[in-house]
Amino acid sequence: MPKLIIDDITVEVAEGTTVLEAAQAVDIPIPHFCWHPALGKAGACRACAVKMLEGPVKGIQMSCMLPVQDGMVVSTTDPEAVAMRRHIIEWLMINHPHDCPVCDEGGECQLQDFTIAAGHGIRRYSGKKRTHVNQDLGPFIQHEMNRCIQCYRCVRYYQEYAGGTDFGVMGSAGRVYFGRFQDGELESPFSGNLVDICPTGVFTDKTARFRARYWDYEMAPSVCSGCSLGCNTTPVARYRELLKITARKNEAVNGWFICDRGRFSNSAVNDPQRPRTPLVDGRESTRDEALEALALRIAETEQLYGTGSIAIVGSSRLALEAALLLPQLAQLTSAGALCYFTSEEERATTTSHLGLLSGGTSASQQEIRESDCIVVSGCDPLQDAPMLALAVRQAWRDGATVYVVGDGIVLPCEFTAVAAVDAVPLAAAKKPVLICSASCNSDHPAGLLVQHSQLKLAVIFPAANSYGAAQLAGEQGGVSLERAVASGKIKGIISVEADIPAHLLAGIPFVAALDWRMTETVRAAQIFLPTTAWVEMDGTSINNEGRAQRFKKVMNPGLPIRGLDPAGHPPHLHRTVPPGGEAQPAWQTLALLIERVSGEPVTEPFSGRWERLRGLDAGSEGVMIHDL
Amino acid sequence: MKILSDIAALVTGMWITWKHIFRRPVTIQYPEEKRTPYPRYRARIVLTRDPDGGERCVACQLCSGACPVDCITMQSAEDKDGRRYAEWFRINFSRCIFCGFCAEACPTLAIQMTPDFEICKRDIMDLVYEKEDLLIDGCGKSPDYNYYRHAGIGVTQPRGSGAEEKPPVDVRGLLP
Repeated sequence: MPKLIIDDITVEVAEGTTVLEAAQAVDIPIPHFCWHPALGKAGACRACAVKMLEGPVKGIQMSCMLPVQDGMVVSTTDPEAVAMRRHIIEWLMINHPHDCPVCDEGGECQLQDFTIAAGHGIRRYSGKKRTHVNQDLGPFIQHEMNRCIQCYRCVRYYQEYAGGTDFGVMGSAGRVYFGRFQDGELESPFSGNLVDICPTGVFTDKTARFRARYWDYEMAPSVCSGCSLGCNTTPVARYRELLKITARKNEAVNGWFICDRGRFSNSAVNDPQRPRTPLVDGRESTRDEALEALALRIAETEQLYGTGSIAIVGSSRLALEAALLLPQLAQLTSAGALCYFTSEEERATTTSHLGLLSGGTSASQQEIRESDCIVVSGCDPLQDAPMLALAVRQAWRDGATVYVVGDGIVLPCEFTAVAAVDAVPLAAAKKPVLICSASCNSDHPAGLLVQHSQLKLAVIFPAANSYGAAQLAGEQGGVSLERAVASGKIKGIISVEADIPAHLLAGIPFVAALDWRMTETVRAAQIFLPTTAWVEMDGTSINNEGRAQRFKKVMNPGLPIRGLDPAGHPPHLHRTVPPGGEAQPAWQTLALLIERVSGEPVTEPFSGRWERLRGLDAGSEGVMIHDL
Repeated sequence: MKILSDIAALVTGMWITWKHIFRRPVTIQYPEEKRTPYPRYRARIVLTRDPDGGERCVACQLCSGACPVDCITMQSAEDKDGRRYAEWFRINFSRCIFCGFCAEACPTLAIQMTPDFEICKRDIMDLVYEKEDLLIDGCGKSPDYNYYRHAGIGVTQPRGSGAEEKPPVDVRGLLP
């Protein structure tokens, strides 16, 4: 391992590391634009100049292009290097439109930061600025080419990393242009990452256009609830409105990026139709009244139809905390059925696939990226778990061979179509991964796991917490609601964030619902209690590989201030709870109900073997639950 | 001699006292009598308009970011012509300390301090000024400045026709 000295600090890093990364390892910041940890170096911006005082090369060098070697002595503060960086920034700013006040990147802009860090404040060049015409890149991404500094990050990401073909670089010399050949929506399902990757404001999030500034953002580490992969995100909120969702780095899971479906999924949370008030028989009431009515109705139903007539229904999108309290509630109300799944098919396939993963055979997205042989069997990752497709592409870029079983599957990389998994030379591969889905009728991979001990599985489950739901259903003897209702015994349903189809609710005299979305179940319910969306609560979910991850509360629940008052501005009223702010996390409402029924307060959802999840850090890589 | 220095001290003190007795007083009989503050006096805040009559404020949130007492809040929005403006803009004058940081931070010279310091209300909620209370029909202290004429994003003029801009480049052009 080469050893070098950077600003009088001795650093020892792995072979092949660049001087820039070595400096970052000891918290010495070096300005950079074109270099990005996920994309590597391009040497396009020249902003990372340092001076090499001793060693194999001397003088001003680009730290991102220079691999570390023994005996290097690097200075980032040498007057020559500082002057070089100052001049580079000044050149980069020559054509800048100086529109930071009306730029959404302002406050979170790398160009802004490094310009100020370089000490450039007043434009000395009196020549005219080069300008460009923008393109309409669809409803999600705003294009402002005048701000471009030609770092090539966008095109390197879009074409190389994400495999998109409809966006590129055009023109020559000072007229270099990054865009599509003509106006139109970006085709790649990962195009939203351009917003994160652009070091300045060329690409900004159109859904959050002109909404807030970085220093006013409410942010917290969170986990995407869009699919079962559990990619790490940082949602951004302001004035009780979820403005946008940005990617958060987790090397083991999503790396640096997220897919567009996860990124642009904020409208469900801001939906004005979201049910936010407790209802008893259609009448607005307080949480206490609704809870009391709920406890009463449970007792009445049992009196009327006998014990075992209540079904407690959770779902695979319900956070782990609430899912863990369901068995307790079922026991207290002597419920006839504890259901984590509505349909029997979903329960059966999810549980059977879970059985395959319990031995630590699950592949993380990182393992997929590092695999040398990938089989996509009978499922469409771009549809059901887009980030898996991006991970497959990274493996392919590193030389992995990709096989696809099934028709009509598109991947952002080259692949070989095979008729069956048996045709794939799995035995020859060192780190093979099989990607399958718990909801498609693909071949069950149990036999393959026995044959190939090195084979790892990436299963796409139907929802964010399917793994947790299946795990608990297995432990607690959960049945599917479909089967429970078919028995004819169920006369009351308590649905906790479950999507129950109308035909299952048809013959049920008593339905209570806890949810944050306006579902059919909520409409049919006699008693309704609002719960919080994932960005409004602390919670835990288990992703498709069995990784428990914590998401933190980003914002308070309540109606967004936007649109609250016809006068246009927030009302001149003092109140402690915002309108529509009565919602609380599902597990807290369940805890209150349990307390009302049993008299025992519940303060902590994690008990027994789950206790280790209590202090789970949202910034960590998560905990594999078969290690618990 | 201690006694002499003591006498000198007494006389000096009495001299200063008597000198001030015959001076013109600095106090005035406010509110019957009023004093004109200097033009740069820092009191009631206004939002000004640019020479073309458009709102100068682009709701960039720099004033609220600079405000040490957090008395400014706003919501930015996009107008039909792409102009960024304040959907609502609120200054809580019961909290404002008139430090002038907001006016200093303002990149478009929209927010300015006026010498009008007489803002007392019976009800404290009346000190919460909304945009309609703040916006004036004038340019204030910098009559010639229009931010959008200098920011190269094409809102008040077509792209590439600003004061410091070249016309947009033809990316498909082959000339060097």
